[in-house]
Amino acid sequence: MNAALLSLSLPLLAALLLVLLRPARSGLCVILMSAASLVAAAFALQQAISLGPQLLQIGGWETPLAIRFQLTPLTALLMVFTAGLHLLVALYAARSPHATGNEDYWPLSCLLHASLVALWLSADLFNLYVTLELLSLCAVALVALAGRKAYRPAFNYLMLSLAGSLAYLFGVALFYGRYGVLDVLVLAELTEADNTTRLALLLMSVGLMLKAALWPLHLWLPPAHSGAPTAVSALLSALVVKGPIYILWLIWSQIAPPELGRQAGFLFAGAGILALISGGWSALRAPRLKMLVAYSTVAQLGYALLALGLLLHWQEPRMEAALWLFILAHGLAKVSMFLAAGELQRVLGTRRVRALKGASQNMPVAMATFAVAGGSLIGLPPSGGFLAKWLLLQPLFEQPQHWPWAFGVLLGTLMSAAYVFRVVALGFDRARPNPLSVKPDPVAQWLAMLPALLVLSLALISEPLLLWLGGVAR
Amino acid sequence: MTSSLFWMIIGATLWLLGLHGLLTLRQALRRIIAFNLMGSGVFLVMIALAARSQPSDPLLVALVVTGLVVAVSATALALRLAGVAQGQEHSKGQQEPRQ
Amino acid sequence: MNWTHWLPLAIVLSSLVPGLLIFTLHEKQHRLRVTLNLCGVVIKLLLVVAMIYGVSKGLEFRFSLPFLPGAPLVLQGDALSLLFVALSSVLWLATTIYAIGYLENSPLQSRFFGYFSLCVSATVGLALAGNLVSFLLFYEMLTLATFPLVVHRGTPEALRAGRVYLAYTVGGGALVLMGVALLHGLAGGQDFQPGGYLLPAVGEHDLALRVAFVLLVAGLGVKAALIPLHGWLPKAMVAPAPVSALLHAVAVVKAGAFGIIRVVYDVYGAEAMGQLDMAGPLLWLAAATILYGSMRALQQQELKKRLAYSTISQVSYVTLGVALLGPIAAVGGLVHLVHQGLMKVTLFYCAGNFAETLGIHRVREMDGVGRRMPLTMTAFSIGALGMIGIPPIAGFVSKWALGMGALEVGQDWVLLVLMGSALLNAGYFLPLLWRGWFAEPADWHEDNWREERWETHWMLLLPAIFTAFLSVLVGVLAGTALSPLGWAQLIVNREFEI
Repeated sequence: MNAALLSLSLPLLAALLLVLLRPARSGLCVILMSAASLVAAAFALQQAISLGPQLLQIGGWETPLAIRFQLTPLTALLMVFTAGLHLLVALYAARSPHATGNEDYWPLSCLLHASLVALWLSADLFNLYVTLELLSLCAVALVALAGRKAYRPAFNYLMLSLAGSLAYLFGVALFYGRYGVLDVLVLAELTEADNTTRLALLLMSVGLMLKAALWPLHLWLPPAHSGAPTAVSALLSALVVKGPIYILWLIWSQIAPPELGRQAGFLFAGAGILALISGGWSALRAPRLKMLVAYSTVAQLGYALLALGLLLHWQEPRMEAALWLFILAHGLAKVSMFLAAGELQRVLGTRRVRALKGASQNMPVAMATFAVAGGSLIGLPPSGGFLAKWLLLQPLFEQPQHWPWAFGVLLGTLMSAAYVFRVVALGFDRARPNPLSVKPDPVAQWLAMLPALLVLSLALISEPLLLWLGGVAR
Repeated sequence: MTSSLFWMIIGATLWLLGLHGLLTLRQALRRIIAFNLMGSGVFLVMIALAARSQPSDPLLVALVVTGLVVAVSATALALRLAGVAQGQEHSKGQQEPRQ
Repeated sequence: MNWTHWLPLAIVLSSLVPGLLIFTLHEKQHRLRVTLNLCGVVIKLLLVVAMIYGVSKGLEFRFSLPFLPGAPLVLQGDALSLLFVALSSVLWLATTIYAIGYLENSPLQSRFFGYFSLCVSATVGLALAGNLVSFLLFYEMLTLATFPLVVHRGTPEALRAGRVYLAYTVGGGALVLMGVALLHGLAGGQDFQPGGYLLPAVGEHDLALRVAFVLLVAGLGVKAALIPLHGWLPKAMVAPAPVSALLHAVAVVKAGAFGIIRVVYDVYGAEAMGQLDMAGPLLWLAAATILYGSMRALQQQELKKRLAYSTISQVSYVTLGVALLGPIAAVGGLVHLVHQGLMKVTLFYCAGNFAETLGIHRVREMDGVGRRMPLTMTAFSIGALGMIGIPPIAGFVSKWALGMGALEVGQDWVLLVLMGSALLNAGYFLPLLWRGWFAEPADWHEDNWREERWETHWMLLLPAIFTAFLSVLVGVLAGTALSPLGWAQLIVNREFEI
């Protein structure tokens, strides 16, 4: 548990110190700090695997009064994931100052990191609310770093995010009113399928779906993610939206009674398929590059929704591994894609997709990064996206009545391929290539390529990954 | 009905009104007020729940206080974002574009 | 370390590593690029020879890496994979030399040769793949590696063709994924086995087995250009000639056909196929493709498009042989994989030479080309006659085997298809030969012609002559055990346990 707490307190401390002291090389400090946090998280993961789930009661209070922190292999893996992505983005941002918009990026990103780690560790409904709020406020502030023109999407994001939080909070209040406890583990045993629980779950789900931009409550995401500075977009798509999804999974898989889960699961799965199609279609038609990548996030979260929905609908534990693999693979791929898009935008001097003509000649590494990251989103082997899709398809194919869902997955794959190749094919257009406005930076491009290479080979480490995700039935 | 239930219904109504306002209103300041109304609604529900037992449930009171702090910070951030955006809109029509 | 463990991996890496290195080379580093290319080719050939030697001595080659739960990544060297690997390696050598000559002084060669090497790595990877999941991995890699080659010229036309190509091949890949996932749920991630491993599942899971077969054949059929999934192939002719040669003789089309062979024989097995009644529809589809391809070829006035439709028709001979489910037919189909490869690549080399040297793209421009480029025209003639089925060129051997195989399983109507196709082949190839040898070129004036350069660059000529020679050689040696025919016989014996 100590390693986990260290992984939490390092970014928190760093955020405070960076705000107070304002050192000259903030970037370097953040890189060092996140590397240390990553190491601590890795230790925590190793502990969680060898010792099993661990609990920490804050302040030494007893349940049900206590606020609990819980370390499981999954949460430890998510901590590693968070620290790792923060580090990768920090490396890129240190190299390319244009990607951050402002020096305030550094303390804010540390605070984001800290709030996420606190979220993963929380096992108490109200604590989750607090960390969720912290996360959202940080995210909004990060979006606003892009300057005046980003204030409107940031404000909109804030309003909708707060609406979501208050819906969630209302649900928490109802839970407390009905059962008298807020601790997840205790609630898991107490809940029954009555109307209060139904209402509370509905409110909480709507709130969380709004915050995670899950279809159909996703409309705030494309303007916010495309208007933000490059490094911020990467963090937002890869990390911030995953927090609410974790909480959604937690309440539905642990707290909600199975009968309610079965009904809700069908709706979630259906929304997932629609997200894939609608998000993919919008990405295909988006005129600006970062808008395309943002819509791609909406679409890819459809896979996560589908996995969650089928997990609940069929009470199929193998879908959990699929869900979390989608999350991990998407995070890595999206960081890469946004960083590459940022490089392309900066060097070509325009935000339009059409400007990418001939970019595979001028900026081969950035285009290749986009293609490799896109490969994971499409689900090409041996990437992490492929592994996640494979794990999703296995239980799906076992019974003929489940096969129609596979058709939805097929459509999602084809739509993802369509918008990824829309960009990649343009890169090969040699008819009238767009000249470069600025000299490209190869180091920054290779830094953007790093997460893409990681996710490309993710399936090759599938055995330890699946072990950490709690053991999948072979 | 019990007084607790009565106050809970009031709270829920406030929440719904706030939500409606937040989603449908255009001006930034009004949306911020709507959000605060939603917040008040939820807090009222929580206090009503707290009042069901004697003495009132300290956990819920603590949650309300925490919620208030969060709401104040969020409002501050929202006002900052809205204020500048408003200023930008006013100045756009009147002044020449600045460098 | 045990060399039987590493050799399959080394064969794949022998083109993957040079390919990745070539990407980093500057355009001007011509010599280094050529060296890397040729080193990779030669090393690969040596490794393949070593593996053939090892297999003939009874050694088992298997490389495995943990991959998906229950389905490791497996590379193995059995007789069937070696057939395809050997074909790929030999033709890669020829095409590399051809490409170096063809692309001289054109831009973006590093990118071209990088993807070229990746393409070959993917091809040998799927040839050596030991189970469906490994096959899928390399199949998708092949799609991705060939796309940049198709759009290499970067013109709007090339990009349009590239988009069509992607639409077909990515869709096909997704269908194969579905089929593989479905089968994995039924029978696990087993290795390919002669005789298949799905027989135990027949009877209980018929619906799933049938659906999976349809998915797999549809997905593989895109690359194998079965109708109605063939639309990408004529359009992909916008690519440079080395790419067309590589795509249509070695890599993409054969990968699809090879996949179908694997699925029918080493996953389902002849027995299960018979019980599921899925071979019949496949047979009809193959026959239809053969006739359709030939008929469309007759209509084409552009030389490369005519050859493309001829490929569509000819590759379905392989599918035909497989779908007949008899040992002799299987031999015919398998050996046609090799023979068609040799003959078609010859034809494409020659077509490329005609285009490069004399600017000939259309059939009517071919008049009298034999006087100007006699060696190329000879190679072309050998390829064309082989396609029609004239002995002793390779094509005759495979068609004979297919005909015999059809009679063996009692599907006599297939003979009519074969004869009809041979007639159609004659119909669209003989006029080309007549024009080339006997017609008068438009600007014929004997004195002028003697002064101009004769034939084409040696790098473009040599591969064509080499593969034409091989086409004749394998035909002549068909009776012996050394030939591809003997090899195919060996594979089929194991499959049918004769």
